[in-house]
Amino acid sequence: MTPPETRDLARCLLAYEVVASKTSEPVESATLRVYEKLRQCLGVFSGVDGFRSLAFRALTQAKSEAPGLWAVQVAEDGSLEGLGEFQPQPVESEPQLGCDKDQASEDGVILIARLLGLLFVFLGEALTLSLLRNAWPSATFDNRCSENGRES
Amino acid sequence: MSTQDKVTINKLPTGVPGLDEIVGGGLPEFSFNIIAGAPGSGKTTLAHQIVFANASPERPALYFTVLGESAIKMLRYQQQYTFFDPAKLPGSIRFINLSQIVLEKDLGAVLEEITKEVEKASPAVVVVDSFRTMVRKPQSDMDLQSFIQRLALFLASWQATTFLIGEYAEEELRDNPIFTVADGLFWLRQTTERNSIVRKLQIVKLRGQDSVPGLHTFRITDAGVQAFSRTFGLTARKRNPPSDRRLSFGVPELDKMLDGGVREGDSVLVAGSSGTGKSVLATQFIAEGIRQGESGIIAVFEERPEAYAERATNLGLDLETPQKDGKLTILYLRPLDLSVDETMQSILDAVQKIGAKRLVIDSLAGFEMALSPGFRADFRESLYRMIFALTGIGVTILSTVEVDESFTEFPFSTYSISFLCDDILRLRYVSIDGQLRKIMVVIKMRGGNHAKDIREYEITNKGVVILGKRLTDYQGLISGVPVHSDRSDPRREPPL
Repeated sequence: MTPPETRDLARCLLAYEVVASKTSEPVESATLRVYEKLRQCLGVFSGVDGFRSLAFRALTQAKSEAPGLWAVQVAEDGSLEGLGEFQPQPVESEPQLGCDKDQASEDGVILIARLLGLLFVFLGEALTLSLLRNAWPSATFDNRCSENGRES
Repeated sequence: MSTQDKVTINKLPTGVPGLDEIVGGGLPEFSFNIIAGAPGSGKTTLAHQIVFANASPERPALYFTVLGESAIKMLRYQQQYTFFDPAKLPGSIRFINLSQIVLEKDLGAVLEEITKEVEKASPAVVVVDSFRTMVRKPQSDMDLQSFIQRLALFLASWQATTFLIGEYAEEELRDNPIFTVADGLFWLRQTTERNSIVRKLQIVKLRGQDSVPGLHTFRITDAGVQAFSRTFGLTARKRNPPSDRRLSFGVPELDKMLDGGVREGDSVLVAGSSGTGKSVLATQFIAEGIRQGESGIIAVFEERPEAYAERATNLGLDLETPQKDGKLTILYLRPLDLSVDETMQSILDAVQKIGAKRLVIDSLAGFEMALSPGFRADFRESLYRMIFALTGIGVTILSTVEVDESFTEFPFSTYSISFLCDDILRLRYVSIDGQLRKIMVVIKMRGGNHAKDIREYEITNKGVVILGKRLTDYQGLISGVPVHSDRSDPRREPPL
């Protein structure tokens, strides 16, 4: 399990993207946008391979918590594939009930939180937040996240 | 061309303590440099320090990583150093990974990518780490030399100071086109000397300025790289003219033997075997200086400062108060594997911090033992450099040295360092009338008319006290087994 603060930070990032898009896009789009921003930001210095290995690890961890992500894959270029697509469940699995909006949103939170968790482990909080501030310049990351997920 | 017509080359701080002095004041702005050395020699850490010292939001630093250490892992490790400021990333310092381009494309594409990023950021500093892994790639569309030339030209035109980091062996120094193009070549070495690791750096080349030649030791600590210049940062300091002022030992009879005291700026050697009072005399020398308003440093290697101060208290000398008042520093320098220059830098820092006029090194044997084995061979040479540097700025140095007591010889030092000393004071035991007594004699005093007397002394609760007049009743005192003059005549029978 990721720590609650890391999940809160992931929720914040997703909330920023929802507000920024000003549309009623599917929640998966917000997850993808956050993921893409992280990919751009991290890929610059870690390289495609570096980011892809990190993302693959995060996804593997997230799948253990969020079965709804089971069909999601990390592509060769590090992008995410299969998020939000309806996938039939494996026979042995319980019927997937998490395809509703809330569940999809929570799955996104878990995936992003796992990725952030790895960044905290490898780069530390200060450097990770510094990178996030660069990717979301208008956001406030006060002790990882402001309360409402918007700039105060 | 007059001085005012010449272009001024600004110098960038290296961010490495001691290195600015070695490179001649700082890194030449817009220069194209190579940091070379074997893996683990500290190249990346050095580059990071330079980057963190110079990057700003207006003039950022671009740090290109190629094949080699993972950028994430590199940042994970590098942020352990105190100079690493995460707030500078990514605004002022941008890490850019070129591995994909290097793997999939040619050097032309690499140059294109670097060009694109440089044009976008207009950086003050550019680092390519590791440059060597990039040029090892066999299939290159562009000739290596042409690539280097174009890269150097481009980065200089964009007013960037550049550092290429590469793993190179010593033998590659010759005939390598990269080294020809470079304005500066910094070579880092790491060698094993018995059980110790010794790090040294050399400025093989630095166009446009006067760097300090030779191999300089450096250390990597939590604070990153720290370099120790062979000149101890005192090259720019003007040597003081010789002084005629005499410094008292606080032992009136000894001052008389020294024609009024030790000449200011002299290097004094007090030699004697164990228990002859070398440290006592050294303590009296420092205490007298403090009494006269001259701050002092005592560098001890064989006992802890508290014990040293306590022993002084037993002699009626207060070393505690001047320490609290900032007039005295007792340096305890005993970590093994120190480089000689590093030890000396600690002494110099302390001297400069409190403006010390007197320095005691107690003792040279302890000093040598604290050094890494590899540095012991350079001990005399390094000692010479330090004594020259310190006495040049008016510090008077008293060193103690233990000598093996011999009844056939009268050695001054086992280090053959007497030539480094202006004055030599020899203490020794003598066997007189069934007692082991102590004598002292001034062996040498450069520029002074010292007494030739051999004087007996005692160590009392007031320190060294010289007794009576010179010993005239004995012959062969310096042998340690003198003969009473009355008995030296074989025709005379000794009194019963």
